[in-house]
Amino acid sequence: MNGDNIWSNNLISIIEEFQDCFDSMERYELLFDYAKKHPTPLPPEDWNDSNKIIGCQSRAHVSCNLDEDGNFVLRGGADAQIVQGLMSITAIAVNGMAPDSVSKMTPNYAEEMGLQSSLTPSRANGFLNMFRRVQEEATKLVK
Amino acid sequence: MQIRSDFPILERKLPNGKQLVYFDNAATSQKPRCVITAMSDFYEQYNSNAHRANHTLADEATTALEEARVNIANFFGTSPNQLIYTSGATEAINLVAFSWARANLSKDDIVVLTEMEHHADIVPWQQLSKEIGIEVRYVPIDIETFKLDMEAFSIAIIDASLVCVVHTSNVLGVRNPVEEIIQLSHSVGAKVLLDCAQSAPHEKINFDILGADFIAISAHKMAGPTGIGCLLVKENIMEEMAPFMTGGSMIKTVTTKGSTFQDGHALFETGTPRIAEAIGWGAAVEWLNQFDMADINSHVHNIASWTAKEMRKIPGIVIYGNPEESDSSGAVSFLHESIQSLDMALLLDEGGFAVRTGHHCAQPLMDALNVPSTNRASFWVYNTMEEAKSFIEHLRYIVERFT
Repeated sequence: MNGDNIWSNNLISIIEEFQDCFDSMERYELLFDYAKKHPTPLPPEDWNDSNKIIGCQSRAHVSCNLDEDGNFVLRGGADAQIVQGLMSITAIAVNGMAPDSVSKMTPNYAEEMGLQSSLTPSRANGFLNMFRRVQEEATKLVK
Repeated sequence: MQIRSDFPILERKLPNGKQLVYFDNAATSQKPRCVITAMSDFYEQYNSNAHRANHTLADEATTALEEARVNIANFFGTSPNQLIYTSGATEAINLVAFSWARANLSKDDIVVLTEMEHHADIVPWQQLSKEIGIEVRYVPIDIETFKLDMEAFSIAIIDASLVCVVHTSNVLGVRNPVEEIIQLSHSVGAKVLLDCAQSAPHEKINFDILGADFIAISAHKMAGPTGIGCLLVKENIMEEMAPFMTGGSMIKTVTTKGSTFQDGHALFETGTPRIAEAIGWGAAVEWLNQFDMADINSHVHNIASWTAKEMRKIPGIVIYGNPEESDSSGAVSFLHESIQSLDMALLLDEGGFAVRTGHHCAQPLMDALNVPSTNRASFWVYNTMEEAKSFIEHLRYIVERFT
């Protein structure tokens, strides 16, 4: 369900790919594959306290800026493949969007992909914290 | 199997349809039906405040609270007068820091800890150091054997006033040589505080024979409810403790000119007691009384030992601790060289296996091991070899599929 979200065709096809998975282990396998496909990775040497995501059990970092055309770019890196995979998909989803649109997105694409059971806030795996951080950065970039 | 049928939760299926296999017992144990019933009976039949009124319900509640104290104290080989109810081991250790240490230690005193301690047995002493300037010393572990460096221990305790040691490590499952630790510490005039949160579910703690000055215990790791535990204190040392919290229950008289206080454990149990929780814990020790604790230890050790042996055959798995050794309890901490611990935990959860992931509230130990976190499977009386076998099978499947 796209709802009020502006989901790119790329993201919609990723959601469909996940929905076609046979079971949760296959979904995780696909997520591990996406972990290797981050379009704009943040290498570990650029990880620092200012781009660290708090509240994540693994190490996770994001850095957001605008390209020369004023479009959003999410750079990210995490040591856990599940977090890195979600970051990759999020980057595919938001890269190239206007920062205003990014700030209005909701994180329900993860639910649509069938990953909600591993994404509750108490699991502390950082997806929701990462998503909120991206939105905060997007809001700042609008200003 | 009779034991398993006492625990309704073990029948539960997870939302993905998988049968729960609960291997997070070092975090908290599950509760037998008799504990749940004892607590609900209290609320349904005789809920009332204790030590306050003369009506029937108040009398029944007070009697049940104090009967539980007797049963729990007996279970730990001591008298009910030596048992102070607390919220758990953390509050028990803080009680020593606030009530005994603040009254008896000053700037020149030394408190000895180990690198194996849980944060609950580190932070109170760091805070006390900030407040009154005590010196805190840490005994290292040998990272080859995962055991305390007893040579360093013997040196660290020189001139110490208090030695605080975890009985069994919540991360490594290693049982420290507490008898030797108590003897050495007392020989230099230091008091000894043992954190028995992990050992109490696995072995017989006999407070009076063991000879420690203080022992901290949590109920919830040994079939009891959360929110209750105790500090066991030697009689002559309880007299050296000043009240930690003040208010109702701990007083004899209060006038506008001042107050007089109760003696013994009542001095440290301020406010309405944890009545239902104490009753639940009493029921838990009664349930445990059907076993020889040595049999529980042997059962848990056999599962942990077999699991560790099988895990070592899986490529890339590294185990922290020596679960195969006889002085280890039921925890197997491990990492896979290429599957991050958070990933491993979620993949195990998909198979129905509940294990702990993280630093286990023991960051200095993680630093000593040079890892940020581990996965930990921990076992108890109701776990079976069949569960361990299915765990190894699923772990092997994860490693094959995700590396």
